[in-house]
Amino acid sequence: MPLDPRRVRGPEESQPPELWAAAGEVPVEEDGAGEEEKDAAPRDPCDLRPLFARAGLLSQAEGSAYVELGGGTKVLCAAWGPREAAEPGAAAPAGTGRLLCEFRRAPFAGRGARWRPGSASEREAEREAAAALREALEPAVRLARYPRARLAVSALLLQDGGSALAAAISAAALALADAGVEMYDLAVGCALCRSPGPAAAWMLQPGEPEERRAVARLTVALLPALNQVSAVLGGGQGSSPDAWAQALRLGLDGCHRLYPVLRQSLLRAARRRDAAAAAAATATTAVATA
Amino acid sequence: GHTDILVGVKAEMGTPKLEKPDEGYLEFPVDCSANATPEFEGRGGEELGTEIANTLYRVFSSESSVDLKSLCINPREHCWVLYVDVLLLECGGNLFDAISIAVKAALFNTRIPKVRVLEDEEGSKEIELSDDPYDCIRLNVDDVPCIVTLSKIGYRHVVDATLQEEACSLASLLISVTSKGALTSMKKVGKGSLDPESIFEMMETGKRVGKSLHIALQKILDEEESLGTSRQKVGFLG
Repeated sequence: MPLDPRRVRGPEESQPPELWAAAGEVPVEEDGAGEEEKDAAPRDPCDLRPLFARAGLLSQAEGSAYVELGGGTKVLCAAWGPREAAEPGAAAPAGTGRLLCEFRRAPFAGRGARWRPGSASEREAEREAAAALREALEPAVRLARYPRARLAVSALLLQDGGSALAAAISAAALALADAGVEMYDLAVGCALCRSPGPAAAWMLQPGEPEERRAVARLTVALLPALNQVSAVLGGGQGSSPDAWAQALRLGLDGCHRLYPVLRQSLLRAARRRDAAAAAAATATTAVATA
Repeated sequence: GHTDILVGVKAEMGTPKLEKPDEGYLEFPVDCSANATPEFEGRGGEELGTEIANTLYRVFSSESSVDLKSLCINPREHCWVLYVDVLLLECGGNLFDAISIAVKAALFNTRIPKVRVLEDEEGSKEIELSDDPYDCIRLNVDDVPCIVTLSKIGYRHVVDATLQEEACSLASLLISVTSKGALTSMKKVGKGSLDPESIFEMMETGKRVGKSLHIALQKILDEEESLGTSRQKVGFLG
């Protein structure tokens, strides 16, 4: 989006009012927090929120996917490939292809202040997320079959309701599969977080308020048919390796449970494409005969 | 080995971040010098530099690693910002481990001068630096984690891989371990995938190695500290 110099863009630094409300100790905030606690308390930590996935919806991209999670996270992903590599043999080994990932956040995606669409901090965060996406997808794609080619994947986060990176990984894998790129398996992403407290348990697919309060976060990506972990990214308050191992097992279990949903959406997209192609073929033959 | 890292810590006065008004913060500018490998010439080292910086931010993002409240001077107005400059001089494999060891040692060695805040009659605040150069606060680095890189080669894993070993391994797991054996962050790097069982094994090994690393590092830091000003300054890289 080119910056329009005539538009008043507001002050350089804008701050959300919630920060100052906390300092003033408004009692209304207490009630709000209390309500959230009541809603969050009976949640089962192993509960997976409903996931909606649909592949093959963009007409201009070779492969596309849209993933929506129950808490409001919406990710749209498009994939292209293979194309000829731009810089021949400069960075990549000549034998394999390259996977280029891009991750963009819409300026209205997050809950806080609007991200300025060119700011350095946003670019940093996007680059980090894109690198994480690439880490997760590289083991899944058969890059050796596309020498000197590049495959591009672009993910757009429309709304961040928690577990954004995990949803982006699943959407990107679905988009690549929809584009017809040869892959070993679909990469399924799952996020976990741990709330503050001495004996807090790890929770699957946190929502946005849970993620904000969390002291430790973890995102895992799994190739379920091969049972291989393709990405682990986590950080936060320290705990023993057993606790992290338990969190990892919970995440992998969640990935296994999400896998059938993604496969179904891929099958449906393939059937839709076949039906559309058949309808177009009969239409052209009808025109030709008539 | 052949890995050389130089870390310098500079403390500057700044305004605290909005979300954490009574804490200071750390910044990690990383520079990959062109001396390390010819690939780093010009802008080549930028990608690796940002990856290292992001990893350091994530490792230090946990609240228990560094006591940030001690870096605060005036809530919401003034705080110490520690710029931890990392310079890669020679790249011989196992970068992240060496960098985290160097950062911990540098933070241990950091001396931040004590400041006093004087209030004028109108309410404007003045910051006064104490005159004594030895009157300073030291950071408590007991909980600062160290990164351990475990590279998977075949069915087993290695710690502290050289360049040749790194070339053979398809995937590695970076774990940050505190001196008490708690893991604070993990990240998988590399083109390959990892088996869940090997991840569990790697975490156990990483915790063991991390603990012994912390003990050895603390011993050396205490020794250097006790030598004080009588320490011979050996030219570094020697």
